[in-house]
Amino acid sequence: MAKIKALIVDDSKIMRSAVKRALNQLMIADFEYVEAMNGEDALDQFDNTIEIIFLDWNMPKMTGVEFSKAIREKGDTSHIPIIMVTAEKSMGKVDIALNEGGANEYITKPFTADKMHKTIKRYFDEEGQLVTQKETEEKKSFFSNILKS
Amino acid sequence: MVEKTLDSRTIPNEIIEVVIQSVINTFESILGEPPGYDEDSGPDGPLNGVIGNIAVFNPDSTLSLMLAMPRETALGLSEAFIGFEIPFESNDMGDLIGEVSNILAGEVAANIEKIGFRGQSSLPTATRGSDLTLFMPNKPPSKKLKFQGPHGNFWLNMALSESK
Repeated sequence: MAKIKALIVDDSKIMRSAVKRALNQLMIADFEYVEAMNGEDALDQFDNTIEIIFLDWNMPKMTGVEFSKAIREKGDTSHIPIIMVTAEKSMGKVDIALNEGGANEYITKPFTADKMHKTIKRYFDEEGQLVTQKETEEKKSFFSNILKS
Repeated sequence: MVEKTLDSRTIPNEIIEVVIQSVINTFESILGEPPGYDEDSGPDGPLNGVIGNIAVFNPDSTLSLMLAMPRETALGLSEAFIGFEIPFESNDMGDLIGEVSNILAGEVAANIEKIGFRGQSSLPTATRGSDLTLFMPNKPPSKKLKFQGPHGNFWLNMALSESK
């Protein structure tokens, strides 16, 4: 099973560990983790090998939503699922994260492995591959074949 | 609904009730059972434990929340939250109580919005030690709330002040 490179962004080490523990329990994919303590740190760590992002909101230096906006503005990142994992619960905040921030999903803290599973399972196929990534690769391959022919 | 201009001498009962319910919801989601609220908050005295500080604020008002956990309660909470007990003296204990304060503030902010106080959470901080005493130099209206959880008692001190 190919490893999925996940970026975990949270200023709390305890919460980064909790996210990793939940993902390991799910056994829906084999993850490799990159950790960041805030949005600014996450921007430094981000590169085109990152395949999924788990993102807190309330962090020093750069918030999760600011980071999410910055990532989406980079372009060619729409295939990367951004999962907000945050204590912010009001509907206004959910709306901002999903519509203005460009996040795909929203999980409130504290969360269980089951809640995490329900939220992210649609992004993975039975082989533990990211569906979005697979679709992107298939599209690239399709267009590449057309260009060749 | 809460008056837009808050009375500077008291914390409105609606806010107190929302905060009590928010504490119950937050700890139930962490511990699996709701903590009991004790109307008698008990005598003031120094704390051997850890205090998480956070605020829900808007340009007009700041609601400060101070979550005071005795050592034994904090140790039990760590086991419930992350699956194992973490050393009281470790940095992780401050991280844990800060995160629990953050989750509580998120719940308070969501619930308090329903009664007309729209605010956002600050970043949490935590203080650990023995002989800790909470005091507020400017004497804003405040309230001390006592709760009983499966791992022991804990307190939430709240204060409402004008934002500066």
